[in-house]
Amino acid sequence: MIDNTKCECGHQNHVGTVLCESCGKPLVEEVDSNEILEMRYDGVARRSQRANPNILDRVWNFFSSVKVAVYLILSTLVLSTLGTIYPQENTFFDIDPAVFYEQRYGWTGELYYVLGLSRTYESWWFVSLLVMIGMSLVVCSIDRVLPLYRALSKQKIAKHPQFLRRQRVVYQVEPDFSERPQAQWLEQFAARLKKRRYKVRSENGALMAEKNRFSRWGPYVNHIGLIIFLIAILMRSIPGWHMDEHYQFPEGEVVALPGTNYYLKNEKFTAEFYDKQELAEHQQLRGDVVASLYETKAILYECTADCNNPLKEPQLEKVHEHDIRVNSPLDYDGLMAYQVHYELTPKLLGVNVSVVDKQQNKRFDKFRVDMSNPADSYQSGPYTLELKNYYPDFAQDVNGRPITKSSQPNTPAFIFLAKGPGLSAGGEIFIYFVKDIDKQTFRQDELNGTLAYRIDISAASMEDVEISMYTSYLNIRVEQAMPFIWVGSFIFMVGVVMGMYWQHRRIWLRIDEGRLLLGAHTNKNWYSLRKDVQWALDGVGIEIEQEALDNKGGNSIELNHS
Amino acid sequence: MSLITVSGYGLLAAFIFYTLSFFGFFIALAGSKFSKRDPKEHKQRWAKIGYSLSVVGFAGHLVYFVARWVYGGHIPVSNMYEYMTFFSLTIAFAFLVFYLLFRSPLLGLFCTPLAMIMIAYAAVFPKDVQPLIPGLQSKWLMIHVTTAALGEAFFAIGFVAGVMYLLKTINFQSKQKSDVRQQRGVEFTLFVILMVVVFAGSVFTFNSFGYQAQFVKKTVNVVGSETSVSEEKINYVLPPIVKPYQSELVKSDSFLGLKKPLFTAPAWMEGVNAGRKLNTIIWTILFSAIIYLLLRLVLRRSLGSAIHPILKDIDEQDLDEISYRTIAIGFPIFTLGALIFAMIWAAQAWGRFWGWDPKETWALITWLFYAAYLHLRLSRGWHGLKSAWLSVIGFLLVMFTLVGVNLLLSGLHSYAGV
Ligand code: HEM
Repeated sequence: MIDNTKCECGHQNHVGTVLCESCGKPLVEEVDSNEILEMRYDGVARRSQRANPNILDRVWNFFSSVKVAVYLILSTLVLSTLGTIYPQENTFFDIDPAVFYEQRYGWTGELYYVLGLSRTYESWWFVSLLVMIGMSLVVCSIDRVLPLYRALSKQKIAKHPQFLRRQRVVYQVEPDFSERPQAQWLEQFAARLKKRRYKVRSENGALMAEKNRFSRWGPYVNHIGLIIFLIAILMRSIPGWHMDEHYQFPEGEVVALPGTNYYLKNEKFTAEFYDKQELAEHQQLRGDVVASLYETKAILYECTADCNNPLKEPQLEKVHEHDIRVNSPLDYDGLMAYQVHYELTPKLLGVNVSVVDKQQNKRFDKFRVDMSNPADSYQSGPYTLELKNYYPDFAQDVNGRPITKSSQPNTPAFIFLAKGPGLSAGGEIFIYFVKDIDKQTFRQDELNGTLAYRIDISAASMEDVEISMYTSYLNIRVEQAMPFIWVGSFIFMVGVVMGMYWQHRRIWLRIDEGRLLLGAHTNKNWYSLRKDVQWALDGVGIEIEQEALDNKGGNSIELNHS
Repeated sequence: MSLITVSGYGLLAAFIFYTLSFFGFFIALAGSKFSKRDPKEHKQRWAKIGYSLSVVGFAGHLVYFVARWVYGGHIPVSNMYEYMTFFSLTIAFAFLVFYLLFRSPLLGLFCTPLAMIMIAYAAVFPKDVQPLIPGLQSKWLMIHVTTAALGEAFFAIGFVAGVMYLLKTINFQSKQKSDVRQQRGVEFTLFVILMVVVFAGSVFTFNSFGYQAQFVKKTVNVVGSETSVSEEKINYVLPPIVKPYQSELVKSDSFLGLKKPLFTAPAWMEGVNAGRKLNTIIWTILFSAIIYLLLRLVLRRSLGSAIHPILKDIDEQDLDEISYRTIAIGFPIFTLGALIFAMIWAAQAWGRFWGWDPKETWALITWLFYAAYLHLRLSRGWHGLKSAWLSVIGFLLVMFTLVGVNLLLSGLHSYAGV
C-alpha cells in the first residue's frame, strides 16, 4: 500500500487511486510494465476500495460489486422460473390452496405448496432479493459516479508518456515537421478531429480530443430509472395508494364504491358477438362463439351530502361518464374501472303504468313504479293510489296471509288504497301484480272483486317495462404509483440508449523533441475509435493500416467498460 | 384474386427466395474453388446475388404482411401463426440491416434458414384470419408485439453469430475434458434446432397427407341433483402414441401399423390439449433422434465437427463483435416492447401492469438474462467463447418464452390454447 499519493506532476490524489487523476501516470504498479492499463473508472479511488474495511465498509463493498450484482440478477432469474411451474394461487378463485394443489397435481403439487412456491412472488425471499438488487443499484452508483465525475472534470491535457504508451490504441512516429511546422500540424490534426465532433484542447505541444462524455453517465441514469421503478413498487403498500376490488353492477342500479366517495351506475351493458361467417373456418367448425364487444355505459357520481347517513339518501352529483370497454377503462381522477366479466341476470327494475277507467275505456297519465324503491303515493288523472304495502317476492304463508320471500322483485305485488271518481270516499283496496303471469296465478281480479270491473292498472306496451338484462362485473382500482412506474421506465430507457449507442472516446497526443506519441481510449467499440484515429492521421498525411494502431504490448483481452 | 390469396403467394415467394438466397450465399462461400474467377471476385458476386435474393424474399414477406393486414382489417400479429411469420419477417429485416454493416455472406448462410424455420414453424398453427376478441382490440397490440418481435429478432442474429463463433473456435479434435464439454454443448444446441425443424416438418407433412385421429373427452358435471355430460372433441395431427386422460378414441388413420394409442396421459394433465401436446413432444423427440442418428451415420462424425470446416476463412473477432452489437441493439428494443409496452397495455386492458403470468415472467427472465450478459461482458470482460455461450442460452430463453411456455407451462395443466 502506498501512503504518498502525491503524483510527480504535483497532483494530490485520494488514497486508493490507481492512475493519477490529473496526468494519468500509474501510481500503483512497478514502473516499466508494458501491460495495457486497466482504465475502468479511469483508475479513480472508490469508497469500496478502502484499505481497512469495517463492517459497514464490508456491506458497502458487497453491494457495490458488479459480480454480486450479476449473482443477484441470476438468482432472481432462477427463482422466477420456479413460480411458473404451476399456476400461482392468485390465478384461482375460491380455492383452499392447502388441498387444491395436492388434489390437482398430486404429490409434486403438494410439495410446491409446502415449499411456498405457490406464492413465489410474494414470498419473503423473493421480495428480499428485489430489495437487495435495489440496494446494490444505489450503492454501486454512488460508489462510482462521484469519483468518476471528479476524474473526468479534472483531466489534464498533457498525459504522462507511460499512460499513453499503455493504452490499447497507441501510435508513435516522428513526423516530418520541415514542410509543416509543428504548430500547423497540430492545428490541422485538431481541425480534422473537430469535423468528427470531437472537443479538442491543446497546450504546449500536447493535445486532447474528447467526445460523448455524457454517455459515461448512461449506466447510472439507467440504474436510477430502475431504482425509481423498484421504489414505485414498494410505494404501492402505502395506504390509499393501491386499491383492487371487484364489484357487480346490475343494469340501471347505482352502486356505492366502498372506500371512496363515488357511486357508479351501469346504464346499459352490451355484449356483441361475431356472426358465424365472420369467424375463421376452424372456429366455425368448432362452433366457437367469439365476442366482439363488451361495453358498460357507466355514469360516475360523487356524493355531495348525507354520504354516511343511514337514515337519508345520499345526494349524488354526476361527475363523469364513460363507455367502459376491455381496452378502454373509466379513468376519473385516479379512480379506474375496468370491464372484467358479465352475467345474464334478467330483473325487473320498474314499470311505467297508468290507471285505466274500464267503463269509459279511458287511460290516464303514466306514472313510474320503481321495484326497489316505490313511492308512497301515485297520481294518475283523477285517481290517487296510496301505497299500503309492497311485496317484492309475493307469497302466502300457511294462513293465507301475504308475505315476501326476499327483497328481489321476482313476484312484485303492490297493495294500494285507490281514491277517485266512482270509488267510495274512504278509498278502496286494489291489489296490483306487475307481471301478467302473477296476475293469473294469484287471481288478481278475484281478489279485487267488483273494483276489478271499474279500474285497472296496466302498462300500454312492452316499452313501458324496464328490465335489467345484465350484471356487469367491474374491477375498481386506484394505482397512485403508476406515474412513477412510467417515469422510472422512461429514465431507464434514456440511460440505456445513452450508454449503448454513444461511446466516450478520447485521443491524447504529445510531441516531445519531434517525437509524437498518441494514445486513445474508448469505453466500447474500439473499431470505430481506431477508424477515427486513422482518419485524423490521414488528414495530416500519415497513412496507416488500422492494425498498426492496435497495441499488442499487453496481453490484450478486450475490455469494454464505462 | 382475393387479398388473402395474394398474401399467401407473398409468403410462399418469401420462403422460396430465402431458400434461393441461402444457396446463393452457399455458392459464394463454398464454390470459389470450382469457379474460374478470382476467388475474391467470385465471393463478392455471389454474396451480392444471395443478398438480392434475400431482398426479393423480404419484399414477398412484406406483400404477405400488408395484404393480410388490409384483408383482415387489423395488423396480422394476433395469433401464433401470424406472430411467428412476423417474427421471421423481423429476423430477415435485422439480417438485411446487419449485412450492410458487416458484409458477411456467412451471416446469410445461417440467417436465411432461421427465417425459413420460423415460417415453417408458423405453418403448424391454424392460419386463417380470426376476428379480434375485445381484449386484443387495442393499438398497443400492434406496438407491443412488433417491438417485442424486433428485439427478439436482434437476439436471434446474436444467437446465429454466437453459434457460428462456437462452431468456428471449438476444437473438435480434442479429447480434453473442457473441449469435450463444449463439443457436447454445441451438439445439444444443434439438436434443439433440429427438433424445431423436425417438429414443423412432421406436422406439415402429416397435415398435407390429411392424417387424422380424433378423441372424445367426456366430463361429468354434477350440479345439485342433476348430472350432465359434456363432450369435447380433440383432433390429433400426429398419430396418437398417448391419448388424453379420460377420453375415447373416435377414429384414427393407421400409421405404420399404429392404430391405437399406446398409453394414456397422466391424470394431472387435465387440459383439453394436454394429451395432444404431450403426443407432439414425444413424436418430435423420436423423429429428431432418428434423423440425428441418420445424419451421424452419413457424416461419420458429430454435426458440429462436420460444419466446423465451412467456417475456416471467417474472422472470429468479427463474429464476436456482430453477436455483441446485435444484442446491444436488441436489448433496449426488447425492453421497450416486451416489458414497458407490455406493461402499458396490461395496465390499460386489465388494470394491472404486471401479473406474474408465465408468459410475462419468462419475458422478464429473458430480460434479466441479457442484463447479466451485458454486465458480464462490459464489466467483467466476458468475451469470445463465454459471451458466445451466453448469446446461445439467451436465445434459447427467447424461444422458450415464445414456444415452450405455450407448449409446456400454461399448456399441460391449464386450458390455455396454443
Ligand atoms: C436488473 C437489474 C439491472 C439492469 C437491467 C442493469 C442494466 C445495465 C445496463 C444496460 C448497463 C449499461 C451497460 C453499458 O452500456 O455500458 C449497466 C451497467 C452497469 N451496471 Fe447494471 N443493471 C442492473 C443491475 C445492476 C446492479 C444491481 C448493479 C450493482 C452493482 C449494477 C452495476 C452496473 C455497473 C457498475 C455498470 C457499469 C458497467 C461498467 O462498469 O462498465 N447493475 N447495467
